Amino acid sequence: MWRGLLLLWMTVSMVAAFTWAPLVPGLEETTRVLYFHIPAAWLSVVGLGWSMVHSLLYLGRRRIEHDDHAAAAAELGLLFCVVATVSGSVWAKAVWHSYWNWDPRETSIFFILLIYGAYLALRSAIEGEERRARLSAIYSAAAFVTVPFLMFVVPRIYFSLHPDPLINPGGKIEMDPRIRIGFGAMLVGFTGLFAWLLSLRVRLVRLERVQLEAGAVPGGSL
Amino acid sequence: MPSNGSSSAAAVWAVLRKECRSEWRTRYGLNAALLFAVTTLTAVSFAIGRLGNRTDLLAALLWIVLLFAALASLSHAFVREVEGRTLLLLRLVASPAAIATGKLVFNLLFLGVLELVTVPLFLVLMGAPPPRWGAFLGILGLGSIALGGCATLVGAVISQARGRGALYAAVSFPLLLPMLAAAVSGTRAQWEGGPVGSEARLLTAYAAAVVGASLLLYDRLWED
Repeated sequence: MWRGLLLLWMTVSMVAAFTWAPLVPGLEETTRVLYFHIPAAWLSVVGLGWSMVHSLLYLGRRRIEHDDHAAAAAELGLLFCVVATVSGSVWAKAVWHSYWNWDPRETSIFFILLIYGAYLALRSAIEGEERRARLSAIYSAAAFVTVPFLMFVVPRIYFSLHPDPLINPGGKIEMDPRIRIGFGAMLVGFTGLFAWLLSLRVRLVRLERVQLEAGAVPGGSL
Repeated sequence: MPSNGSSSAAAVWAVLRKECRSEWRTRYGLNAALLFAVTTLTAVSFAIGRLGNRTDLLAALLWIVLLFAALASLSHAFVREVEGRTLLLLRLVASPAAIATGKLVFNLLFLGVLELVTVPLFLVLMGAPPPRWGAFLGILGLGSIALGGCATLVGAVISQARGRGALYAAVSFPLLLPMLAAAVSGTRAQWEGGPVGSEARLLTAYAAAVVGASLLLYDRLWED
């Protein structure tokens, strides 16, 4: 039922974003990337936060469900992070005439991409469910500590060309109300999509575990 | 509890002495790391030659050489225990935090010895202008503590994984990125005569955060 609603919601907001919402002067048609790029970037941060919080919960409580959530959020976060990186890079080629030039936003999304990659690579290299959960949670907690530092370091070193100054000068949101509505609707839709995919992934991992245990018990002569 | 505190300090000291002694017996880790650092340095120096006044490149290359040397050697303190199957015995006599702290101090000493050879060689081979020693050594020291703290924590984690050699560098790198950026910009500022205070503060905070978090996390490192 609510999956149908989600589909309808995303379809309507996507159509509205392309036909009803106006363009930002100075960005012209490339404005449209806003409706995909920012929600995806938002979700790659949400995924990272979700994964890290569940890692910390796992270290505190030792319940394997937290590890399922941490792993699933990292996988999905990586997916959305790639979407955000690629869409941003294509947009940068159109507007800045270069796919990549270490703008602060590019640096921070690349950092998130690296953490996801390292976290998932580490998971795949550790044997044993409990050990994998424990060690990857430790790594995730350590990464959690370094994130705020990047926020301090990066703006000091690089100069940003990212267009929030174009879209919202002076820190206030001065987007056209129609853009704001379209963007808000896409943000909600993307977040709903993320929540749905996350619940699917977690259920799948649980079913795999049940199947593994069911398979192991009858033949349990090992 | 003061007795508990002094006994864990004694345990850290004992682990440190044990690390130094077993390293001194074979000198395998130190020799390999020194050779690796000199190889990296030679490769860089051969490929580029003397850089003279390009202090931006000098600062970046110095930290890249140090990063490579650290990532080639600092997981060794934990991997040695796993490969030698001595970890269980060690855990019987000391708490996880004491073991890890002892190894952290050992790694910092190790990094210090490594830099004692690598940094003067780097300055000579690359034809670097004379650094402002106070600022240079300050940034170098703080950066090394941050580098060693991160590398030791990831080394402890990675020693329990498969394919650790290749994975170690890849998994450490995201955690080292902020510290590396601050250290490079501090080293460059020192050569260019600018202030290094903010980089020094950043590195201090980073080192304190990573070492502090490590001390909390080390307790959960082994619970099989």
